[in-house]
Order: sequence, then C-alpha cells, then structure tokens
Amino acid sequence: MSKLFLIARSNMRKAKGQSVAIVVLIFLASLMLNLWLMLSMDYKANFVRYHDALNAEHVTLAVDNYDAGVSEYLSDTLARDKRVDQFRLDSCMHTVGTFPYNGGMMNGEFIFMDKPTAISRSIGRSEIVEESDLSSGIYLPMLYKSDEYSVGKTIEISIGNNVVSYTVCGFFNNVMMGSHNCALTQIILTQDKYAELKTLGFASEATLCSIRLIDMSDNLNYEAAIKALVTERFHNAARMRSNCYDIVTQSRYISQMICSGVMSAMAFFVLCIAIVVIVSNIVNYIQTNIKNLGVLKSVGYTSRQLIGSLLLQLLSLTLLASLSGTGVSYCLFPAVNAMMISQTGIPYAMRFLPLPFIISLLILCFTIALTVWLCARKIKKIEPITALRSGVQTHSFKRNYVPLDKTKAPLNLALALKSALSGIKHNITVCITMLVLSLIVVFSGLMTENVIADMTPFLDLIVGETADGAVNINADFEDDFLASLDNDSRIDKIYLYSSSNISHVGGAELMATFCDDFSKVNNQGVIFQGRFPKYFNEIAIAGKYAKERGLSIGSEIEITCNGKSEKYLISGFTQITNNLGRDCLLTRQGYERLGELDNVTYYFNLSDGVDIDAFNAEIKDRFSGSVNVTINIDETVEAASGVYVRLMTIIVVAILALSALIILFVLYLLVRTMLNNKMRDYGVLKSLGFTTGQLILQTALSFMPAIVISTVVGLIIGSFIINPLIGLLLSGIGIIKCSFTVPVAFITIAGLVLIILSFCIACLLSLKIKRIAPRNLLVAE
Amino acid sequence: MQRQIILDVHSLSKTFSGGGRQQHVLKNIDLQLYQGDFTVIMGASGAGKSTLLYALSGMDTPSLGTITFKDKVISNLSQDGLAVFRREHCGFVFQQIYLIEGMSVMDNVLSAGLLVNKDRRAIVAKAKGLFDAVGISDEVQKKFPSQISGGEAQRVGIVRALINSPEILFADEPTGALNSKTGLDVLDTLTKFNEQGQSIVMVTHDLRSARRGNRILYLKDGVIMGECDLGKYLHGDTARHERLNSFLKEMGW
Repeated sequence: MSKLFLIARSNMRKAKGQSVAIVVLIFLASLMLNLWLMLSMDYKANFVRYHDALNAEHVTLAVDNYDAGVSEYLSDTLARDKRVDQFRLDSCMHTVGTFPYNGGMMNGEFIFMDKPTAISRSIGRSEIVEESDLSSGIYLPMLYKSDEYSVGKTIEISIGNNVVSYTVCGFFNNVMMGSHNCALTQIILTQDKYAELKTLGFASEATLCSIRLIDMSDNLNYEAAIKALVTERFHNAARMRSNCYDIVTQSRYISQMICSGVMSAMAFFVLCIAIVVIVSNIVNYIQTNIKNLGVLKSVGYTSRQLIGSLLLQLLSLTLLASLSGTGVSYCLFPAVNAMMISQTGIPYAMRFLPLPFIISLLILCFTIALTVWLCARKIKKIEPITALRSGVQTHSFKRNYVPLDKTKAPLNLALALKSALSGIKHNITVCITMLVLSLIVVFSGLMTENVIADMTPFLDLIVGETADGAVNINADFEDDFLASLDNDSRIDKIYLYSSSNISHVGGAELMATFCDDFSKVNNQGVIFQGRFPKYFNEIAIAGKYAKERGLSIGSEIEITCNGKSEKYLISGFTQITNNLGRDCLLTRQGYERLGELDNVTYYFNLSDGVDIDAFNAEIKDRFSGSVNVTINIDETVEAASGVYVRLMTIIVVAILALSALIILFVLYLLVRTMLNNKMRDYGVLKSLGFTTGQLILQTALSFMPAIVISTVVGLIIGSFIINPLIGLLLSGIGIIKCSFTVPVAFITIAGLVLIILSFCIACLLSLKIKRIAPRNLLVAE
Repeated sequence: MQRQIILDVHSLSKTFSGGGRQQHVLKNIDLQLYQGDFTVIMGASGAGKSTLLYALSGMDTPSLGTITFKDKVISNLSQDGLAVFRREHCGFVFQQIYLIEGMSVMDNVLSAGLLVNKDRRAIVAKAKGLFDAVGISDEVQKKFPSQISGGEAQRVGIVRALINSPEILFADEPTGALNSKTGLDVLDTLTKFNEQGQSIVMVTHDLRSARRGNRILYLKDGVIMGECDLGKYLHGDTARHERLNSFLKEMGW
C-alpha cells in the first residue's frame, strides 16, 4: 500500500494543476449533490416533522356561520365518520382580505383567531416563533417576516371597503394555514383586537374545522367529500373554504422542488464533466508516462498495482473534494434555506445529515472509481519492453489534416485547425462540456424570458388562468350584473370562469372549472392535447389524472354532483397544477346538467391604465348585496410571484457563474495538458520564429472548432429539448407539456458570450507559452 | 577581398543561476562571423558550445555583452523581436532534429516558410526544390516524421532551416543522432549549401564534421581558446585534416 501511495503522491506532485482542477470539479459536483440531497431528503420531511409536532390536521374546513346548524352538523357528521381519527371545531372569523406584501397586494382567505385559542388547539395548533412585549395587536405567519413587517410595525389589512390596522406583536408557524399558498391563511389577533374585529363585523363569524384522518393519503378525496356533504346540506358553497395536506405540501414546496430539480440536474452535469475530464486525464497520463509505467512494470509492479495507484490518487482527491463540497454545502445551506423559507414559511433548523453526505460520497467515489478502472485497464496491455523501447505513439497520424500546401487558411488558423483535428480526445472533452453548458445557457435564457422578465408564461403553467381581476357574485344576479357592465369601456374582456367540486364516478373528486366560452380565456395553453370542451356533453380532464386512470380523448366518463349523474366525452387533456392535477373543464351548459349554480365567478381584463382596485371597489359599492368577493389577481400574482422571480434570478446567476467556472477549469486542464504534451513543439516553433502571441492564438484557436460546433449544436438541441426536459422536471405536479418561449436572441447572445469567454480563457491559460524558451531545446552539452 | 561581417559579438557572457549558485558558461567572448563561412565551434562537453550557438542565433539572450547582426543589435531585442529575427535571418538544424510529429514532412517545412513568405505557391515550389536538392522524394514529403528514417528526417530539418533563405544557418551537432552513413550525407548536404554561399555556424565535437568547416573555433570553459583557418573544404585534402588535428592537439583536445 505504501508503494502505491508513493506512486500516487508522485503523480499528484507532477500534475498539481490538473489535480487541483479535478478537485474543483468534484468539489462542485459534491456541493450540488449534497445540496440536492439535503433539499430533497430532509427539507420536505421538515414539514412532516412540524405537522406531527403541532398535531396538524389533514383537512381544514372553514364554514361561515350563516346557519346556526353548521357547527352542530359538522360535529355530528365527523363524529360518525369512520375515516376521521380526530377533529376539532373552533370559532374564528373568515374573510377575503388584502395587505401590502412584496411590492404588491397579498390577497387571501384570512382566518382570524384569538391568540389563546390558536396556540392551544389540540389539532392544528399554531406555534409562536417570535414574541414581543406588545400586548395588543397581530401575529403574522412567519412567512411574512421581512423588512416590511417586523415586530412593532403596522400592517393595514383591507377587508372589502374597510381597512383595519394592527401593530405586529410577533410571528407564528402554522403548518396548514401559515401561508397564502395554503388557500387559507391564519392570522392571530390578541384577544382585545379579536373582540374589536368581531364588533366591527367586517369578517364573517365562522367555524374552523380541523380534521385528522385515519388514512392520511385519503385527504384529497376526503376534503372534496366533506365539502360536498356541507354543500348538499346547506346549499352555499361560496361561504366555505378548505385545504388539505397534499395540496398544502405541494404548494408550499414548489420552490423547493424547482431548486432541488435544478440542483440535481447541475450535480449530474458537473459530475458528467468531471468524469469526462478524468477520462481525458487518465488517457493522457498513460500516453505521456508510458515509459515510466514500463519501468515500473519491469521492476515488478503488476498492472493491478499501477491501476491501484491511480485509483488511490483519484479517490484521495475525490475524498478531499467531497468533504470540502459537503462542508461548503453546509455553509451555503442557510442562504438556500433563506431563499426557500420565503416560499415554504416553515422554520428549518439546519443540522448535520449523515445520509445525504454518505449517499453523495458513495455516488462520487463509485463513479470515479468505475471511471478510473475502466480507463486505466489499458495499463494491463502495456508490455514493459515495448514501452521502454519506443513508448507508444501518442498520435495516430493516419491523415494529414489541413495540408499547408493546399489550404487557403492563414498560417496560424491552419496550424490551429491541424492541432484541433488531430486532438480528438480533447475535442470530445470540449464537446461534452460545451453541450452541457449550452443546455444550461438555454435553461437560463428560458427562465430569464419566462420567469424573470415576464412571469406570465410561468404562471400560465403553474397557476392556470390569470386575469386582471375576478368577481364572485350570486348566480341570480348574473344577468343584471353583465347587463350593467355591457358597455363599460374600462373592460376589455369579461368571462365566466368559475370552479366547483364534482366527482368522477369510479374515480376521484375533481375541481371543475366551467366557462361560457373557452376561446375567451387568456391561457389557451392549459389544454396540451385535444381541445377545450365546446358542447354540453364534453369535458377536458387533467392529463396526469387521465394517465393514472387509463383514459384517452374520446373516452366517456360519468360525473356526479348534487346527487345527479351525467356522462361526458373527453375532448382534451389539461395541465393545471392547482389541484394536484385533479381538474377538469366543462362548459357552463355541461356543468348545469349537474345542478343549479349558487354563485359564479367572472374573470376580467381591464383596459390599460384602469385601476383594478378602484374598479373592484366600485363594483362592490354598486352591487353590494350581490357581490361576494372581488379579487385583484394582478396584484396578488405580483406579490406571490416575487419569491419565484427572486429564486429564479438567484438560480440563473448561480448556474451561469458555475458554468463560467466549469469552462475555466475544463479548459485549464486541457490547455495545461496540451502545453505539457507539446512543450517541445512549442519550443521548435519558437525557434523557427513563431512569436508567443502567435502560439497563444494557435492554441486558443485549436479549441475553437470543437467549442463553436458543440455550442451551436448544444444551443440548437437545447432549444428543442428544454421544454420537454422542464416538463419532465415538473411532471410531479401535473405538467405534461411545457411550452415556454425559447428566447432566440438571448440564447444567441449567450452562446456568443460563451464562445468568446472560452476563447479568452484559453488565451489566458495559454500565457504559459511565454515561459517556453527555445533554449529549452538545448540538450546536454 | 574584405570579408563581410555578418555577426559581431562583443564581451558576450552568459550566466545560469540555479540552486543558489551561478554558473558562468560564457565569459567575455569577442567574435566576428563572416558571410559565406562555414564556422565550426568545437570543444569538450560543457565548454559552452551550444550556449554560444543559441546566444548567437537569438534563441537565448546573453547576460552581458552585445551581438550585432549586420548593423542591428539583437542582444537587446524582446522575445518577440528575437522570434522575428530568427524567422527572417536564421535557420536551425538540431541534433535531435525536432520535426513536429503532428505535421507531415512538407508541412514541417511550410510551417516555417509561410511564416515569412505569404506566397504559398512560391514557397511550396521552393520547398520542392530544396527537397529535390537533398534527395527527399515526393512520397517522403507526404509522410509523418515518425514514418521516415533519421537521415531523411535530418535532411528535412535542413530543408526547413533553409526554406526562408537565411543569412546564417546554425547547426547544433547535426550528425549527433545519426549513424555514420547518414551523418555523412547530412554533412555533404551542408557542405553543398555552403559552397553555394550559405553561411553556416555548426557546433560539433565530431572531428569528421569539423573538417567540413573553413574556420574552427575552440571553446574551453566558456572562453574561445583559439581558432584555426582550414580554408575551403576539398574532398580528400589530408593536409587540412592534419592541420585540424594539430590545432586541436594544441588546444588540448
């Protein structure tokens, strides 16, 4: 072993630069792997831990107390239901409200509770994470803790046309209602403020029902079932809001999923590049050290020992790089956590996670060991005598590429091309690296165009339909409402876009969205296959759900609601992610086959310059008795999307920086190897009169054919495969087909930057040629 | 007739540093090299022959002293300036030949030729002419250095050195890596070009090679100990051989 260690140490000493570059690449791969594994293995598990610790519910239901019997009915129904393990009913106040957040207005379904009740509930307890001496005011979910809201600051909440102001006393964590992403957002008031709000009468008194199920996995169906029961009994679905475990975990962890997906892809890419570089290095090592290997074999070393020394060398580097990468991943994790927490809103206490560390170490060690073993097997074929006598030809000159007597290219370019065409191994390494980096560039461009610059395409994919605003009205007022807005020049477009729960007979509960005319909706990309429903007997269902159930376009399914059942033909597949892919679209006539509508929601787009809030306020004033809710979707989206924009900006900047770093190290390795291998040639060329500048130019240019071709090919292929790739990444939340705009200009410019950057790096790294003096050719006198 | 000085060397010294000590390889050398001469630098191993050759040719810079090529001082040129000087005025033949493995024989020559002359057709024609002169066939011209013999390779090296019609051809032990027969061929080739007016400066410790020169310099411990004028080379001129032998004997060879 000590002998092998000596050889490994000698190899590392001889190629310090190469060793450092390999360490850096493995370090980056380890960093990414560890971050990805930490995010995917523990970050979401943190939610489960808090869910258990706070004995949180699996289904939450808030029903306005419009009927004295609501509470009693719920209590009786839940007590009888064998699927229910535990439940708890508490008084609360429920309203739709808004408050400024993140540069926009946060619109949400607020559940106000008094502090003693909220923190002492046996199910769905809230945990105060920041307390103060202030005795009168508000506690906000910790998600909203920011420069905007901190202890002592004031928050103004708009409820309809009224505004209430509270001093922030602290922050709390609630698993199922701690974020606007949860459908229900809990707000805790001190007892005096709660009583005051109750007196003001701005919010409806309601019953908050927290249900823990025996079989947690049934939460999505149970939510729909209990809502259906309440609706059937009290006929007023508009005054009931709910959420469930699956929906909340998904919606609170979208950024975690995106980030973890990007990390895993980057880890894979960096590892792939590290492998290519190691392969190239080992092949080059064997070629340049063929005589040394021959000597070692002639003095009795076996092939196994020589391969073992290479394994020892590279595994030592891997171990060093992995440990450093893991260490740095722990240093970076607080920053990643800070980024994530603004979306998850769940506190995360970082601790050492042995499993991600062990897994990432094993992945790296196994991959590197396998790579080394596969490449170093060539050593077995080395015959000591052959190696000592003649070495092995480092080049196989079967063809004279770019013959100087025939080419019309300038001399430096011709020599660079000659070098490029005869260095196939270098070219493969460069090509794989640049193909990967081109894909990263395409991804960055796509995210910049579709998330950072204009979030609409991303929202269309994730949220489904967006408009400037929405208004929910009683169904009996619909005709008057539309007639009164008929000639309103402020409105560009208004269309029915209302949702309600229905059941697929023999299947699951589905969220049905119905519309008069789907050609009016803003997001025509919701249907990824087939078409929107046009006739009363047509339905479009979520692609993910259809795949699970083996349904195809043209299949007939039976839907039931309000005790009535009807059959529908599937006209198309949707990819709305809001309801874990359990969605469907119906025409209005199609939905009305199942029963009457109590209330309807209209989405609208306003003309440029029309104030949405003012419009909403006016609508509420004009039709006060019949308008249930108005929403400024624009502002809500702006407030909620800020976190995604920030997250994506950080991801794009990080991966572009990482790409630059990768180019730097890969080119460093290749240029260094080339300089070492061609040291003598450079000396000869200098003695012939080539200047350092000419040789640097030739060296840098020799990498350019592979760089340019692979970058262009990578960008073109990347542009075609990036949407399917992102679709694959987001398939977990029901996205089947992604149709982001591919920003050709951005990608072209980024590709040019990539090529120019590579050229500049190659030139800089080739500066070492300056140190090669022709007198180095001088042999011993 | 007044002979034209092509290289004028004054007080040339070269010192190498390393391992905390200095080694004075060349010591205060004054020397003039003349147009058309076949100058041979002899000396024992470690005398500084190759160091002197590399300093004279602008491959290396002196530690002290000046070297003037015609009217131009080259000892204070930058590395790039020296590169331009070498390509325009010098040719090199190395003991280890140093053809570039990745280039064909023809390309090895053209890579040097096209550096100075952009007229590709002219330089290809000139290369072919030189190849003919040294007996390198068209077939060999297409081969790679690893596919040809040592003698062929050195003759290619000579063609490469002569492709830009250098004022001086420097040769560092050109027959050192060759067998007796091929070494003789190379010497004949050099002699032939010298007879056509080519100035040559050659380092050797091989007596048979040294006989080809008309001027012999003997270097010892970095100092030119003496020189001997042998006159024009004539095949079978035994008196000349004896003159050289007695000079070398005098020098302590």
